[in-house]
This record gives sequence, C-alpha cells and structure tokens, in this order.
Amino acid sequence: MAEADDAPAIVVEDLHEIFRIYKERPPGLKERLYRFRRADFTEFHALNGVSLTIRHGESVGLVGHNGSGKSTLLKCMARILPADRGTVTLGGRVATLLELGAGFQPDLSGRENVYLNGSILGLTRREIAASFDSIVDFAGVRDFIDTPVRNYSSGMYVRLGFAIAVHVDPDILLVDEVLSVGDAGFQEKSLARMRSFSERGKTVVLVSHALEAVESLCDRVVVLEHGQVIFDGPTEQALTSYRRRLAGGASEPAAVEAVETDPDGDGRARVADAVLTVPGHDPAGPVPSGAKARLDVDVRAVDDLVGRGGLTVGMVLRRPDLPSAVYETRTSWRVTYVAPPPPGESLRASFEFELNVLTGTYLIDVLLGNAETDVVHDVRRDAAKIVVRAEEHDAGIAPLGVRITLDNPEGVWPPESEPPPMSEGGPRFHPARPRAGHDQRQPQG
Amino acid sequence: MVATPERLGDLWVSRELLRNLVGKELKVRYKGSALGFLWSLITPLLMTAIFTVVFATFLRIELGDGNFATFFLSGYLVWQFFSNSVNSSVGAIVANGPLIRKVYFPREVLPLSLVLSQGVHFLLALVATSPLIIYYRGFHPELVPAVLIGLVLLTAFTAGVSMIFAAANVGFRDLQELTQVLFLGWFYATPIIYALFFVEDNAPQFLPLIRANPMTWFVELFRRMLYGTPAREGLNPPPAWPPLESWLVCGAWAVGALAVGYWLFNRLAVTFAKEV
Ligand SMILES: Nc1ncnc2c1ncn2[C@@H]1O[C@H](COP(=O)(O)OP(=O)(O)O)[C@@H](O)[C@H]1O
Repeated sequence: MAEADDAPAIVVEDLHEIFRIYKERPPGLKERLYRFRRADFTEFHALNGVSLTIRHGESVGLVGHNGSGKSTLLKCMARILPADRGTVTLGGRVATLLELGAGFQPDLSGRENVYLNGSILGLTRREIAASFDSIVDFAGVRDFIDTPVRNYSSGMYVRLGFAIAVHVDPDILLVDEVLSVGDAGFQEKSLARMRSFSERGKTVVLVSHALEAVESLCDRVVVLEHGQVIFDGPTEQALTSYRRRLAGGASEPAAVEAVETDPDGDGRARVADAVLTVPGHDPAGPVPSGAKARLDVDVRAVDDLVGRGGLTVGMVLRRPDLPSAVYETRTSWRVTYVAPPPPGESLRASFEFELNVLTGTYLIDVLLGNAETDVVHDVRRDAAKIVVRAEEHDAGIAPLGVRITLDNPEGVWPPESEPPPMSEGGPRFHPARPRAGHDQRQPQG
Repeated sequence: MVATPERLGDLWVSRELLRNLVGKELKVRYKGSALGFLWSLITPLLMTAIFTVVFATFLRIELGDGNFATFFLSGYLVWQFFSNSVNSSVGAIVANGPLIRKVYFPREVLPLSLVLSQGVHFLLALVATSPLIIYYRGFHPELVPAVLIGLVLLTAFTAGVSMIFAAANVGFRDLQELTQVLFLGWFYATPIIYALFFVEDNAPQFLPLIRANPMTWFVELFRRMLYGTPAREGLNPPPAWPPLESWLVCGAWAVGALAVGYWLFNRLAVTFAKEV
C-alpha cells in the first residue's frame, strides 16, 4: 500500500558517486605503502549531482547509454552504494532485484535456497513459508525442490531465482536488467508481474535497455548521461528524445560512430607513438602469413582527463583496396578499463596478434577516444604498414584453413605417378611438372 | 555516517538472514561427508594426541596428579573456536563480493554468521569431549551455567576481532596471508600447551606480555571450568567457578572488542560495495 501521507517514496538530492580507479587491483599492503608517496588511482564521477523525487505509486524507468550511471543510481537508491555527496531518502520497505538467485548455494537444496535467498532479499521466514508453494509452482521445480541446485539446469536456476524475487512484496521495487535474462515467455511473465505490482499502487524503478519494456511499464522516464539527468518526464516524450539521440549517433556503441563524426579528434590526448614489430622478421620486408606481430601504442594525455571516464585505444587493420576494415578492436570492446594518465604523462597499450591474412599490403590505423562518450581524442591513420606474403595456392583476404577432398578416386593420382592420357580424362598439363617437354602436351587453341 | 541505533535496527531486521547463513554454514560443512560432525572433532583430538606425546611423554612436563591431555584440550578448544572464526571471517567480505555488489543487507551478518557457526562447532566439540573431561577431571554439572556465560563472552570477543579483521582485509588484501602467521605466534603467546605458572617460574619477564593477551584470560577462564587449576606437583584442584577477576577482565575484553569491532566495521562497511 502507498503511504497515506504525501511523503515521497524516494528523494535523491544532489547525489554524487565517485569511484576510485586503481591502477593495480586489488590493493595490498605494498600498494598502500606506495600510495603514501604517489596517488596511483584516478577518480571517476559516475554520478554528478543527480536530484529527483519519486512519489508513491509511480513507475519510473531509468535509461541512458552504457556507463551513463543508471545502475549506480539504482544501487545508491538500494543503499548498496553510499552517497559520496548528497542524500538518498527512502519512504518504505525496499527490495532490489539486481540479480536472480543472489547467494544461491550450489550444495544446498532448492528448498534451503528458497529460504536463504528469500532472507537475503529481506523476506521473513513466515512470509517465505506462506508463499513457498506458490514459489515452487511458479518456478516449476516441484520435483527437484529437495535436490541440490548444483544439479539444476540454468533455466531452472533462473526460474527459481525469479520466482523468489517476484514474491518479494515491498513498497518500493528497484529492478535492474533482470528482464533481460531468459526467453521471451519468461520476460513477458516478469513484466506482467511488475505491472500488477505497480497497479497495486507500489513504486517501481526499472533500469532497462529494453525500451519496449520501459514503454509498457513506466509512466515516467529519467534519461541519464555522464551521470547527470538530461531528461525527466512522461515516457513517450522521454523515449522519443532518447531514441533521437541514439539515432543521431550521440551514443552507443560510443566510439564507433565518433570516427565518422569527428575524424581527427579533439587532441585532448594524443597517440604519441605506434610501433609495429614482427619478431623474427624485418617488418619492412614481406612477412609470412600467420606471423605473430605486436603493436605498441604510446598514448599521452594533453589535458586533464581524469574523472571523465576511461580511455579506449583501438587498432584497425585494413587493406587500401578493400572498402571495409579487415580487423578492428578497441580496449573498451574487450571490457578493459584504461584509466587516463595525468596530463603530460603517458601509458602504453600493446596489441599482440597474428597476421592471419593473405598476400597484400596492410595498413594499421590507431584510434584513441573516451570509452564512454562519443569523443575521439586522436586518430593516427597509416600508423604502420606491413606486407604479407602468403603461400601461392590461396587468394583473397583470410586463410580459411581449407582442406580439399574429392569423391573421385580415379581422377586423382599421386604427383609421382603418370596421369592418364587426356583422351581418358587426364589433364592437359601435369600440375607438378614443368610444362615444357611433357609428352601429353597438346597444341593450344 | 549512519547512526548506530538505525544500524542495529537493520541487524535486528536481518536476524532471519543471520540464522539462515549460520544454517547454511553448518549444512554445507556437514553435507556430503559421511563422518560429518566427527571431522571437526578430529583436529582437536589429533592435536591433543600429538602435544600429549611430545610434551607429557618426551619432554616430561610435570602437572602433579593432573592429566596433560585434558589440560591441553580444555585450552585448545577455546583457541580453535577463536582462531577458526577469525581466519574464516577475514576473507568473508572479499569472498562475498558479488553478493555485496548486488544486494543490500547489513554486512556484519557475514562475519557474524561464521563466528556463530564456529560457536556451534565449539559447543558440539565440548559435548563430544565431555566424557574424557568427566573421566579425568570429575563431573561438575553445577558449572554448566558458568560455561554458557563464558561462551557468550568468548563469542562476543571473537565477533569483535573477526569484524575488525574482515573489514580491514577489504583495504589490505595481504591481511588474509598475514593473519595465519599472526595466529601461529598468538597461539604460542597464549597458555595452551603450557600453564601460566611455567612462565611465572621460568621467565617472569614475559608475564606482562602474556597477561596483556586477551586470549590468555579466556583460555584460563575455560580451563578453570573444564580442567581445574594446573599445578606443578601434587594435587591439581578440580574444575571450579572462576574468580571474579577472570570474569571482569574477560567481560571487559568482550565488550571492548565487540564495540570497537562493530564501530570500525560499520565505518568501513559503507564503501565495501565499491571496493570488493
Ligand atoms: N565499482 C566500480 N569501480 C569503478 N568504476 C565503476 C564501478 N561501478 C561502476 N563504475 C563505472 O561507473 C560508470 C557508470 O556505471 P553504471 O552505473 O553501471 O552505468 P549504466 O548502468 O548506465 O551502464 C561506468 O563507467 C562504470 O565503469
């Protein structure tokens, strides 16, 4: 039930959340001592002064591209993360669904895990006992309820976790991407459950990438960007504006579109050097296909980028005669966090790879940008050039490791034996021998 | 900084979770091993056998009409509870990182559940070894309340120390390794294989150090109730109600450790989700 008085369900005031990105994790004693001499972490502002008030009975969606701070905001509301500045005030019992089956113990039975997980989610023993049958039926695991969950299929595991979660009956429900697991039927079921929850006048805050789900459930949407609220209003309006932003290339996948919008970069950080080495070979001359290569990229920060999100360093391997890249990667695509160095200092990103390409001249471009926004700092085109010489029997871009077998035993002969004459289906030329002097030679044309 | 009464309220709300976590610890430990609970008895019995052979037989430690095995066991069980609790708690926050990042609950239930489940083991071990103690040291049912009060004090002290170690380990990950070394030294600084009178007689300069060790007081407290009073020669007086001084010192250590541990833990706990 919604509170009788008009006290809001959630009040967030000027909330800041700052993460320290350590260069070396986890910090041990050695790093601690070292840190007395020099700070070896950078600060990252995941939330930058967020204020919003959510009244009882509202269903609010939080959207924004990856890294915009949605989950962080939800975790602050859930009291999982402390506010570094500002306050979060809650008016009612809160349940958070960030993960299904949180804390499941593989060695315990389904029944024991229902009680354990239920109490982690804040249910009392009596509440769990009262909805136990309903939970088990919802999950459809009645026959296995006394089996250790270690033996559950992943589907059963998720269904049981979900069944417990939806039986949590708080005043305020905070949900993060739980909807994205499971099949369509499962998602429909969970959406229906949340809808009935909000119809009963409860407060729901939902973080989701599934804009349709947000659309069908929420009457208000908050759009976040760089840890700030950039839009807060009715769902339709908010999603229209958000979709326009997405289409306008102002968002994910961040750096990809940025290359087209700002080809030279803003110069706030520079690719200082990019050196390609091919161990055992002279990188100036042709190298064999499959050779191991290494690209060392030195990156120097020009401005103070600390606190503006991570860097991404990317490499593109291309062949000038082809319209699209042969290969491309970024540190951010690999979920690697690259902390920006302090101004004037540099860091090195090394890419080790195999030149699994066929004969041709290849060029490498290096790109440097912000991992979370659309900003490109620097692009160095043609940073390195490499000539690959592959075996003669393939053509194209990539060796596919092809083996050929023929279902035609009479037509195949070993290279050292004589092939049948041409009149019996033999070849015009023996492929393994020089053409000149071969007695099977026929007049051309 | 969240006010303490509110935090205590949270802990009270989470008593169900605490109980389930203790149950989980016990079940996980006893599931899938046929001998179950016997395993937690094997260590103290084996240690008792080894130390008895080495100290009573090879080195001929004199305890008058006393019995070295029960003398050792009465101290070792106390030590084992303390040491196992702290050593399992120290990594508890880091090991439960995924849960801490995803769910809010009072973080202190993690070390507390480990301490309480070790407390259950301790109690079971006491019951299981009681025939040995009764056989050698006599049957004293009137001391059961004293043992239970002692258990409460020891648990409070252990919980406080465990919370300090668990919280500190989030910032200093090396602590987990360090703890094992520290506890090896701490074991010998506690009168478990020796009685206090050996120190008094042979190296009185160490006495202040040994007395400053809170575990000395807890071991002495339980030894008085389980074994009696060790003496070099002649009669070793049987189990008795410990003197007031023992109760007061143990009580002070228990309250102090719990208060400091709880305060420190809660101070550091707010940032656990960021750091694990
Ligand atoms: N524990 C953490 N330590 C360091 N950085 C973090 C931590 N948690 C989140 N972040 C950073 O905070 C930013 C916001 O993250 P998040 O709230 O998960 O974004 P969203 O949910 O919008 O994708 C991201 O850039 C992420 O890298």
